[in-house]
Amino acid sequence: MDFIQTTVESFVSLIPVTLAQSLILSFVVLGIMIPFRTLNFPDLTSEGAFPLGGCVCGVLLAAGASPVTAILIALVAGFAAGCCTAIIHLRFRIHTLLAGILMMTMLYSVNLRIMGKSNLSVFGAPTVFDWAPFTRPGFPASKIVVAGLLALVVFLVLNFYFKTEKGTAIRAVGANPDMAEAQGINVWAATIGGVGMASAFSATSGALMVQSQGFADVNMGLGILINGLAALMIGEAIVGKQTVLRQLAAPFVGAVVYYQLVSVCLAAGMPPPDLKLATGLFVLVMLAAPSLGRSRGPLPERETIRE
Amino acid sequence: MLEIRSARKVFHRGQPDEKVALDGLSLSLATGEFAVVIGSNGAGKSSMLNAISGALVLDSGSVVINGDDVTALPVHKRAVRLARVFQDPMKGTAASMTVAENMLLAELRATKRTFRQGLNAKRLADYRERLALLGLGLENRLNTRVDLLSGGQRQSLSLIMAVGGKPDLLLLDEHTAALDPRTADIVMQATVRAVDALRLTTLMVTHNMQHAVDFGHSVVMLDAGKVRLEISGEEKASITVADLIGHFAVKTDRMLLAS
Repeated sequence: MDFIQTTVESFVSLIPVTLAQSLILSFVVLGIMIPFRTLNFPDLTSEGAFPLGGCVCGVLLAAGASPVTAILIALVAGFAAGCCTAIIHLRFRIHTLLAGILMMTMLYSVNLRIMGKSNLSVFGAPTVFDWAPFTRPGFPASKIVVAGLLALVVFLVLNFYFKTEKGTAIRAVGANPDMAEAQGINVWAATIGGVGMASAFSATSGALMVQSQGFADVNMGLGILINGLAALMIGEAIVGKQTVLRQLAAPFVGAVVYYQLVSVCLAAGMPPPDLKLATGLFVLVMLAAPSLGRSRGPLPERETIRE
Repeated sequence: MLEIRSARKVFHRGQPDEKVALDGLSLSLATGEFAVVIGSNGAGKSSMLNAISGALVLDSGSVVINGDDVTALPVHKRAVRLARVFQDPMKGTAASMTVAENMLLAELRATKRTFRQGLNAKRLADYRERLALLGLGLENRLNTRVDLLSGGQRQSLSLIMAVGGKPDLLLLDEHTAALDPRTADIVMQATVRAVDALRLTTLMVTHNMQHAVDFGHSVVMLDAGKVRLEISGEEKASITVADLIGHFAVKTDRMLLAS
């Protein structure tokens, strides 16, 4: 009984902190979902774009830039990184996953160069969370309000965008690139712009994270991709992915639920080093679940990936 | 109007498996003309269509549509002028999107896409009306994902998408070959109705000799990357399946003699 009581107590006390963290990280999950689901372009750039955004933001904050400027420049840097991945894939016909690994590896050095050292403290610098109405700066509530509002705005804008004429064209590129091209859609431009936009969200998430935790670290992206993927799987399991609205809601719902689950595990005394194994196993189970039921059936359909 | 001027394309140049796909092929099609293209496998029919649509870059020669040289334009820029129905029903539609969204994409083929909402009541009413012409009940399934439709329904949808907006040139790439005879007939009848009503300049590739006899103003026979025979006017009106097959036979005999 004691164990359950302490677990519940520490979990409940962690809820606000975890919620703030998950709202900030929901942008990475969004940055993973957009290429993966709407462009059919499995992309690993976010593992490098997230710390890129963090490092850019950290350096700018240390130099005295305003927190909004720092986020906007981080966003642009992330966009450029995503564009590079897409161009590597399109121009040199390198598999999307390999293009992402190349970018992510190269970005590690870039991030180190940007910061000049492996971590940088920006504690005490002004952050966007200082401006939250009705809350005291520095407390989880202010982070929840700011990150939550931002997430809501991004969700509403994207939900509008993907139903516009331009947004429908982007979705067509993911659904059937040959058909999209035959309908007059510039597949290159749509892919580069779409993957760029996704990495911009990942970088924004990194920038927000740095402002939230008060320091930037080149290793802050380690494992972010698998966490994001796990969150996306949970989100899709809860809200589905049949419509634009549901598919867009999945990253946000998934991020919030996933990080609370992680918090439960930690509160129950799971050693943090085991977390990655647990997350990996969880993603594996989520991806494998649909095929378990038909192990004796006909050959499973191969997941198609753009070559 | 379509004009192909001495188009040449060689695959695997300089290698043992070198293949001349288009060997100085020239063809011209007047505005409003409906030509049927026949020829054995490997004659260059698909290469010709791909060269027109832009999917195949020519080694030399040029493609002119309505007086404008489009040889240097990529596929998505040529799409402003031409529409294509593929042989494979899966290829011409976006499977994970709805019927209405597919119609929208086709409607926007020749126009600039904006930040306005794509589907609105006016457009949906228009799509419903156009799909009703097929008589397949697609007009009541605007919000159905296309991958839930049958092959015939998908191909019919592709056709309606292609003829909408009255393209300068319509390319039909064996578009009834993958369908059962009854559905193929429905799609073919819908094709002829649309081509006649809109007076579309059309190039239809087919292996069906009966279709070649029944439809179109002219028959073009390709062989080894060149136009071997062109039948039009009076002669086309009176030609029979036996005559056409005869032309194939002549070719085969010549090949036998040559070998």
